[in-house]
Amino acid sequence: MWLWRMKPWILGPRGVKWKGGLYWASLRPVSGCRALLVTATALVNHWTQLFEERGVPEARESSEYIVAHVLGAKTFQSLPASQRSTPITKLQQEQIGELCARRLQRMPVQYVIGEWDFQGLTLKMAPPVFIPRPETEELVNLVLHEESQRWQEPRGKGTLGHQPRSYPLILDVCCGSGAIALSLLSRLTQSRVVAVDKGEEAVRLTRENAQRLHLENRIQIVHHDVTAGVNREQLLVWGPVDFLVSNPPYIFHRDMEQLAPEILSYEDTDSLDGGEDGMRVITEILSQAPVLLKDSGSIFLEVDPRHPELVGKWLQSCPDLGLSISATHVDFCGKPRFLHIRKSRGSGS
Amino acid sequence: MQKRQTSCEWWLIPGQGMRGGAQGGEKRSRNDPLWRVEFKLIVEASQEGEAYRPVKSHDVDSFMNTLAFTYLPVSLSRFSTGLWRLWLGKKPAFLFPGIGASGPQVAGKTDSHILLPLNESDLEEQFVKGHGPGGQATNKTSNCVVLKHIPSGIVVKCHQTRSVDQNRKLAREILQGKVDLFYRGEDSHIHKVKKEAERKKRERKKKAKETLEKKRLLKELMSKELRPTAPFPPEE
Repeated sequence: MWLWRMKPWILGPRGVKWKGGLYWASLRPVSGCRALLVTATALVNHWTQLFEERGVPEARESSEYIVAHVLGAKTFQSLPASQRSTPITKLQQEQIGELCARRLQRMPVQYVIGEWDFQGLTLKMAPPVFIPRPETEELVNLVLHEESQRWQEPRGKGTLGHQPRSYPLILDVCCGSGAIALSLLSRLTQSRVVAVDKGEEAVRLTRENAQRLHLENRIQIVHHDVTAGVNREQLLVWGPVDFLVSNPPYIFHRDMEQLAPEILSYEDTDSLDGGEDGMRVITEILSQAPVLLKDSGSIFLEVDPRHPELVGKWLQSCPDLGLSISATHVDFCGKPRFLHIRKSRGSGS
Repeated sequence: MQKRQTSCEWWLIPGQGMRGGAQGGEKRSRNDPLWRVEFKLIVEASQEGEAYRPVKSHDVDSFMNTLAFTYLPVSLSRFSTGLWRLWLGKKPAFLFPGIGASGPQVAGKTDSHILLPLNESDLEEQFVKGHGPGGQATNKTSNCVVLKHIPSGIVVKCHQTRSVDQNRKLAREILQGKVDLFYRGEDSHIHKVKKEAERKKRERKKKAKETLEKKRLLKELMSKELRPTAPFPPEE
């Protein structure tokens, strides 16, 4: 009896929304009928409805990503229309059901499908390693922009006519899944990166992602807690760096309890909690930066929108460090999110 | 100077795609538009002989249909005066209006394979609302980017990848193509590529036909040569 209701989903015109979802009960086969003619679109609608009923946020997006992933695409919109309306195999339906069951437990979509995209790279994701946020892609763009600027500025006296090639050395602190490190490596083909994280799983995941992307020969991954002191031998293995880039834990401790269950239950809280005012790890990184950074180097940090002012004041209170904020950049929502810090002129050697 | 009354009417007509779908079950190609916008510039002239002439219609796809409607009336007012100027003795192709809008500059010699550049100041970007505190505190997966070209009112929605950065770049590429098509009409890059592909297809068909004809003639010739050969003479 439900078959005649199914037909419109298969043959319906593109772009027309069909009201109402498909209840789970009606997916059970009628006696004597063996094949289930379920299309991708119908399945997405079905799971969207189920997620909404159970209070799972981003119901439609979640079901779209899961169904697209099982069908071999990145997003549902990138699936050709023909594939969206062809029947899905029983095996695929089972796979989708399994993944959606995990999403019903509020597992983040990135952990459910085990991968996510960052700056054009597809990285493996595994709990509890921190999932890269879309804002952080802008952090990578800032580093790339600064690198291109360095080689466009007219050189002062004492330089040769022929410009040497650029081999930027980058230090990624709190690398997580390796998103920042690996995207910089893939965009700057002559660069080398030292990636540091205090979590063993993060170090393992970064190594795996580096191997998947065939970038393991240009990256050194160090298992070290920066708040435990400077580890010169390992962090300075290739000498002082041109760029110190970091997305450190910067959430205010009092804001931690307001985070969504997806984040609190599955992601490592140590990769989020920045202490009372979110500054604990930031100040540690900045304290060690003068030793790790070249005089011409730059520090790029992703921070909370309240931090630019706090960091500015803190740097002024520590003049021995010789650092100052060169620029504050906003994210795609217009919030101050990124700090560009440099060594002040006339500080030290 | 005799006064002229002008008005511009625009009509939203269901396109091939909509008609095909309405009949139900019929296969539609991706390129069939759902809607078509037709502009009719009406000039009531005092002199005889002058009449109105429909300007080239413009296909609007389903995304533009839902989002661009709010912007169409605004851009239309610029449109109508621009078209009026164009229609009077100038080329009927869509040149860029250049009235108050900072449209892309067209070089004297438009190179066909270079698209009109987009100015960032003409663009308005929108991401999914309700992003919350953002950054590490949220984990949103809705990475759809909506990009609007303000002077022309064209809106592009992109959700091809899972990366916001990639979607932004793709949206700009798609928008650049659409804006180029919009302003340059038949001179646009997309149009030229399409025409070139059609021309090549026609040539290939012609060649295939000629080859078939040659083969047929050859076959006929060979069968004629074989026929006069008599069967083995009977033994005497």
